[in-house]
Amino acid sequence: MSVSVAVTGLGVLSAFGHGVDPYWAALVAGESGLAPIRRFTVPPGAGPAAEVPAVETRAHVRSPLGRRIDHVSLFALAACRLALLDAGLDPTDLPLGRTGLALGSEFGNLDETTTFLDRLFAHGAANPLLFPNLVMNAPLSYTTIELGLTGPSAMLSAGEVSGEAAVACGAELVAEGGADVCLAGGADELGEVLHQVFHEACLLSSTPRPLDPYADGFALGEGAAVLVLEPLARARARGARVYARLVPVAGFALPAPVHGWPRDSSPLAARLAPLVADTDAVVAAASGEPELDALEAAALAAALAGRKALVTAPRAATGSFGAAGALAAATAVLAVAHDLVPPTLGHVPPGRHGLGVIAGRARAADIRVAVVDGLARGGACRPLRFEAP
Amino acid sequence: MAPAVVITGLGAVTALGGDVRALAAGLAQGRCGIGRLTLFAHTGRSGVAAEVREEANAVVGRLPPATARRLSRPDRFALLAAAEACRTAGLGPDLGRDVGVYVGTTTGGMLVTEEAYRRRRAAEDHRFRLSRLLGTPLATAAAVVSQALGLYGPRETFSTACSSSALAVAMAADAVRRGVVPLALAVGTDGLCRLTYAGFDALQALDTEPCRPFDRDRRGLSLGEGAAALVLEADAHARVRSARPRAAVLGWAVTGDAHHVTAPHPDGAGALAALAGALAEARVPPEAVDYINAHGTGTRQNDAVEIGVLRRVFGRRLARLPVSSTKSQLGHCLGAAGAVEAVATVLALDEGLLPPTVNLRHLDPAWDDLDLVPEAGRRAPLAVAVSSSYGFGGHNVSLVLGRMAR
Repeated sequence: MSVSVAVTGLGVLSAFGHGVDPYWAALVAGESGLAPIRRFTVPPGAGPAAEVPAVETRAHVRSPLGRRIDHVSLFALAACRLALLDAGLDPTDLPLGRTGLALGSEFGNLDETTTFLDRLFAHGAANPLLFPNLVMNAPLSYTTIELGLTGPSAMLSAGEVSGEAAVACGAELVAEGGADVCLAGGADELGEVLHQVFHEACLLSSTPRPLDPYADGFALGEGAAVLVLEPLARARARGARVYARLVPVAGFALPAPVHGWPRDSSPLAARLAPLVADTDAVVAAASGEPELDALEAAALAAALAGRKALVTAPRAATGSFGAAGALAAATAVLAVAHDLVPPTLGHVPPGRHGLGVIAGRARAADIRVAVVDGLARGGACRPLRFEAP
Repeated sequence: MAPAVVITGLGAVTALGGDVRALAAGLAQGRCGIGRLTLFAHTGRSGVAAEVREEANAVVGRLPPATARRLSRPDRFALLAAAEACRTAGLGPDLGRDVGVYVGTTTGGMLVTEEAYRRRRAAEDHRFRLSRLLGTPLATAAAVVSQALGLYGPRETFSTACSSSALAVAMAADAVRRGVVPLALAVGTDGLCRLTYAGFDALQALDTEPCRPFDRDRRGLSLGEGAAALVLEADAHARVRSARPRAAVLGWAVTGDAHHVTAPHPDGAGALAALAGALAEARVPPEAVDYINAHGTGTRQNDAVEIGVLRRVFGRRLARLPVSSTKSQLGHCLGAAGAVEAVATVLALDEGLLPPTVNLRHLDPAWDDLDLVPEAGRRAPLAVAVSSSYGFGGHNVSLVLGRMAR
C-alpha cells in the first residue's frame, strides 16, 4: 500500500554557505567548516566551531509578522525555501493542504530563551514579544505561516537524532499517502550559553577525529538541512530530478544510561546488521566524542561483518549539533546521487576495528545504498536508508 | 484492511491525584485542582496554577538510583503515568522489546534548567554542572520511560506546544495501524516552570482566578502540570493476550492554520479541517458524535473560535451535544494536555460519565443554548467522543475515540 518516496530537493545551511552546492563542494574537497567563533565572545582557550554565514531575514520572510523570527526558525525557513528552489517547486504552486512539514531540533531557540530568563531574573518581568519565539515549534509555526502550509506537520526533538527523526517522520507521511509533498529536516544553532556549557564540561576538541582511536572530543556547529520528499511517481510525472529514494525503516531503542551511550555495542550491531547488509556507504554519527565513536565503530564493524562499506563522518567538518543528522541525510543523498563519498576530517587510518573510513580524499564508487545510522544518547536509534532511484 | 487501534492501558498524574482512579473520581465530583502557585515565586498578575501535589518518586523501574534521584518533575510524572498505563494494560517485561514510546512535551526539565542558569549567571556556580542540566533536552522523558520500563521499540518526542501529546497519541495510533509496532505507549508530560508561567502571564493570557472556560467573564487560562499515558495496540493483538480494551482510536487528523504564531485563525479554518478530517478518517458522521472534550482554554479568543468551529460541524445538533473543558479542573497542562484529555475522554466513554466544565457561573450569551456540562459530571451512555487540541503557531490535532462494544 505504501508508495516509494523520492528525494527531489535539498536545502542546506552550513558553515560552507547557503545552498547544497557550497556544502557538497566543500565536503568533497575535504574542507573544514570549523573556525574561531565570531558571533559571541568566548573564554580564552576555546576551540573553533562551525558557524553558518549570516542569513538575511528579508530574503526569506515575507509576512510582517515574520520580522520577529528567531535564528533557528530562520534557519529552518531558509532551508525549506532553498530545498523547494532546488526541487524546482514554486512555493506558490504547492498543494498547501497536502504539503507536510516535519522539522527537528534538539534545543530550539535556546539563545532567546536565555535572553528572556536574563530579564526575568534581573527585573522579575517577562518580555511578551519574545515568548512566542521560545516554544520548541516556533520553526514549524514560522515556516507554515510563511509558506502557507496547512497540511500535517510535526516538530520533533530527539537529542542527537533530531534531524534523522524529522526526515523519517516526513518519509512515513509521504509513503502512507498523508501528503503529496513533504519538507523534512532540522535546524539547530550555536548559542553562547550552549557553548559555555560544553566548554566548561571539557567535552570540546579543537581537532575532532571521528572514528579515530585518538578522538578526544567534538566541535560544536550549527546549521539546517531540509529534504523535499514526494511520491516517486509524482516526481517522475513532473519530470523532477530524483536524487535518491528514501526507504522508510523503523527506529528502535537499546538499553543505555538515560543520559549516556549504550555500554554494550552488540545489541546495536545486531539491529544494524540487516540495515547495512547491502549498503555501499555509511554516514556515521561519530563526532570525535570518545564514547560514541567507540560504540559506533564496534557496532558497525560487527554489523558489516567484513563487508567493505565506505564510512564517512561529516560532523568533523560541519560541527556537531542536534539536527546535524539532517545534514548527514543530505550527505547520504548526495553520495547516492554523485557516487562519491566525502572524506572524514581529522581521521587518520587505520580506522577502529578495520572500518573502511574514508580519509584524506573523497572516494568515487558506485553507491546504490547509503545508510545514516543515527545514534543518540539514552539509547535511541533513528536510522535512514537511501537507495539509488 | 488496517486493524482497529484500541487503548488497553491508562495512566495519569494530575492536580487531582497521582493515578487514574484519583483523576476519574475528581472529574466525577467536579473538583477543581487549580489553587495557589507554590512551586516558585512569581511577581506578575496571576498567582494560581494546577500543581501536582503527589510525591511522584515511587517508580524507579530499571533506573540506577543516581539517575532516578536526579529526574526532573515532568520526567517523574511521565514515568509514573507510563508505569501505571503499562500495569493496567497488563504488559509484562516480555512485551517490552517492541513497544514504541511516543512522547509529547514542551519544556521538559526547564524548571531545573532555569535554576542552573540562574546560579551560573549569578556566579553562585563557577561553571555549568552537567548534572544540573541532564533534564534539559526534551527527549529525556522518552529516554527515562523507555529505559526504566524496558521499552525498546521506536522512540519519538513531539513538541508542538499545546497539541504536543495529542500529536503523540495520533502518531502512536498511526504506528500501530500501519503495523510498525505491535504496541505503543503515548505519553504527554509537562511541569510548571518560570518560562511558561511568566510568558503566558506577560501575554496577559492567564486568568488571575482559576480559569473559567466558556464563561461570560472568562479572562484567560490557568496553567497546570502533570502527565498521562495510554497503551495502544491492534484490536487483534489485545484479544490474543486477553487485554480489555477501554476504548478505540477511530481516527485523527493534524492540520496547520498558517496564520499566526500565538493566535488561532479567526475562523478556525485549521481547527475545522482537523475536526472534519478526523471524523472523515474515522468514518464517523457528525450525527454519531456523543461528546466533545474541548480544547477549552478559557481565553476569550480560543473558546469563541472553538464554539464557532463546533457549530459549523455539528449545526443545530450542537445544542444537544455535551461539550466540556477538562482544563477547568486540571488547568492547561500544555504538552501534557492532549494525553490528559484523551485519558479523560476514554474514561467518559468507558464509564459513561461526562466530565464537567467547572467554574462556569455565567454562560456566555453567545452559546447559552449549549450543554457545557456545568459544575458536576453526569452519567450518560456515550459511543463516540472527540478530543481536540490546538497549539501555538496554529497546530491542530483532533482525535476521535469510540467505546468498545460490550
